[in-house]
Amino acid sequence: MIAHSLFFYFFSFIAIVSSVMVISSKNTVHSVFFLILDFISISCLFIMVGAEFLGMIMLIVYVGAVAVLFLFVVMMLNVAQQGKELFENINTYSHLPIGLIVGLIIFFELIIVVSGWKYKPELFSIDSLSLNQNITNTHSIGNVLYTDYIHLFQLSGMILLVAMIGAIVLTFKKKSGIKRQSYIEQISREKKSGVSLVEVERNVGVKIDE
Amino acid sequence: MANIIFILPEIFISLSAMFLLIFGVFKKNSSATVYILAIITLIISLILIINSQTNHEIYLFNNSYKIDQLSNLMKIIAIISGIFFMLSSYDYTKLTNLSNVEYSTLILCSILGMLVMISSYDLIVFYIGLELQSLPLYVLAAFNRNKIQSSEAGLKYFVLSALSSGILLYGCSLLYGFSGSTNFYTISQNIYSHETKNVFGLVFILVGLAFKISAVPFHMWAPDVYEGSPTSVTLFFAMVPKVAALTVFIRFLYVPFVNLIDQWQAIIIFLSLSSMIFGAVAAIGQKNLKRLIAYSSIGHMGYALAGLAVGTNSGIQNSIIYICIYLIMNLGIFCCLFMMKRNGKFFDNLEDLSGLSKNHPVISLSLLILLFSLAGIPPMAGFFAKFYVFMSVIEKSMYFLAIVGLISTVVSAFYYLKIIKIIYFDEPKEKYDNVNFIGVKISLTLSTLLILLYFVYPSGLINLISKINII
Repeated sequence: MIAHSLFFYFFSFIAIVSSVMVISSKNTVHSVFFLILDFISISCLFIMVGAEFLGMIMLIVYVGAVAVLFLFVVMMLNVAQQGKELFENINTYSHLPIGLIVGLIIFFELIIVVSGWKYKPELFSIDSLSLNQNITNTHSIGNVLYTDYIHLFQLSGMILLVAMIGAIVLTFKKKSGIKRQSYIEQISREKKSGVSLVEVERNVGVKIDE
Repeated sequence: MANIIFILPEIFISLSAMFLLIFGVFKKNSSATVYILAIITLIISLILIINSQTNHEIYLFNNSYKIDQLSNLMKIIAIISGIFFMLSSYDYTKLTNLSNVEYSTLILCSILGMLVMISSYDLIVFYIGLELQSLPLYVLAAFNRNKIQSSEAGLKYFVLSALSSGILLYGCSLLYGFSGSTNFYTISQNIYSHETKNVFGLVFILVGLAFKISAVPFHMWAPDVYEGSPTSVTLFFAMVPKVAALTVFIRFLYVPFVNLIDQWQAIIIFLSLSSMIFGAVAAIGQKNLKRLIAYSSIGHMGYALAGLAVGTNSGIQNSIIYICIYLIMNLGIFCCLFMMKRNGKFFDNLEDLSGLSKNHPVISLSLLILLFSLAGIPPMAGFFAKFYVFMSVIEKSMYFLAIVGLISTVVSAFYYLKIIKIIYFDEPKEKYDNVNFIGVKISLTLSTLLILLYFVYPSGLINLISKINII
């Protein structure tokens, strides 16, 4: 049990520190890396409370897709202009009041959720649901997803396929006049086609690559 | 497993879409082959649907997917219009360099989404089908990347559709929360438990659906998207999604919301009235033919909704007949647009039609027939379509709807006749190229003959559709 709480405090400490670092570090690339660290530690917390499916999905979706997308966007920005120092100057926080208000609202919402949970336990009772405690989350989600909702699962796959085709069609442009690399052509080149002996005229020269 | 025959068409279309993608990757310059294979795919799935006809109602996947007379018939109409769309726009897409492997694949995926929408009997299945239908449409609208209007059309359609999807989903979640189920039948059973709250869900869902069929006041996207998209894609917009959207309207109004008829009737009547009036008035000043067709399609959706507002079986049937005839007329008009080519360039402005009758008597004659039919002049099919709808409206003594509908018909006749005047009495322009597009010619001949000779044997279509009994 002590190991469990040790791990819990370890991961929560990392999560809190890295989320503070996300908003306070000046270099945006560092921010994104701290965001990834935050996601990873939170997914570890999820796994520790037994929501292993949610943790893994978090890892795949947020770390694998969203954060990498952020990283690409940030790399498009001009990072070199941003200063080297780790923390920003404190008087530039003119947006602090609005941020505090939003933070307070979210905090009160959390309080409402937690108090409902604490003082009205029958609201969230899971006894009425016939859950089999012995099988894992992944197993039971898979059971529903691949039997009752198989058609929706497959159709969602078709939607993703269409999205992929659409993204490629609308962005990919075959430009003419660009020299493309072709391994087969390069390997199968022979001396006959590559080298030619030219009689050079005096004061005229030869023109290469016509 | 015995029921797999009823979803074979959907499975077949999705598998062949994937196969065509792979085929297009491995075989170079195969866009024409893929296009023809896509047409063949549609024909085979049409055969599969006709083959699996039953008189029973079949429920699949825990009652979330329904096969009955309505879904079978609407699927057949959707696929036939898809086939004719592809046949008639074959040469246009080839000449404008639109035709690549992805174009045909996206159309197949969109038609798959429509089939799912038509059969859906559950909120989730319906939404998935809707997204699968409209996602390819966004891409197709923006397909011509050399034209800035095309990108604008794609973006506008995407953003507004996403907004309407959000509204629709909000309505779905309200409905699920208050009725406790996503299944249409269960919702209809539980609708009285929280009646006023369910009405909120009903309104949001109807707003979302009205966006999709571009009924006034949710029509803003239609003219720009119709004008900006490539002409072949505009034809697709004008034909096939309307079938699916109308079916979904029928399903929603007459299964989960059937007991709330007093509430939704007013909404549908308002949508219908405003669409009819707006479609008639706003089209008058248009210079571009595609834009004009967009406004006329808004008006025509108003007439189709008028049939649905009645709340009787005959109203539903007459709406479906209206949509069928409207599809045929649209196909003919666009076939004429596909033939207006000069020096490799296609024209779509009203003034380009000027004096068409001197140089191209056949095209002008078919345009004359189609425009007369759109205006609702007897004995063309368009007259009968309007006649049936107004007959069922008057049967329920909703005279106001009928009177406004007739007035807007007269107003809209003005701009249809104006086009005919431009074709027959204005100064002729330069001659268009002689085209030898077989697909276009077949489609144009067929649609014109169907419209012209409908009055000879009207009971064929009526008997087919009279099998649909929802209530």
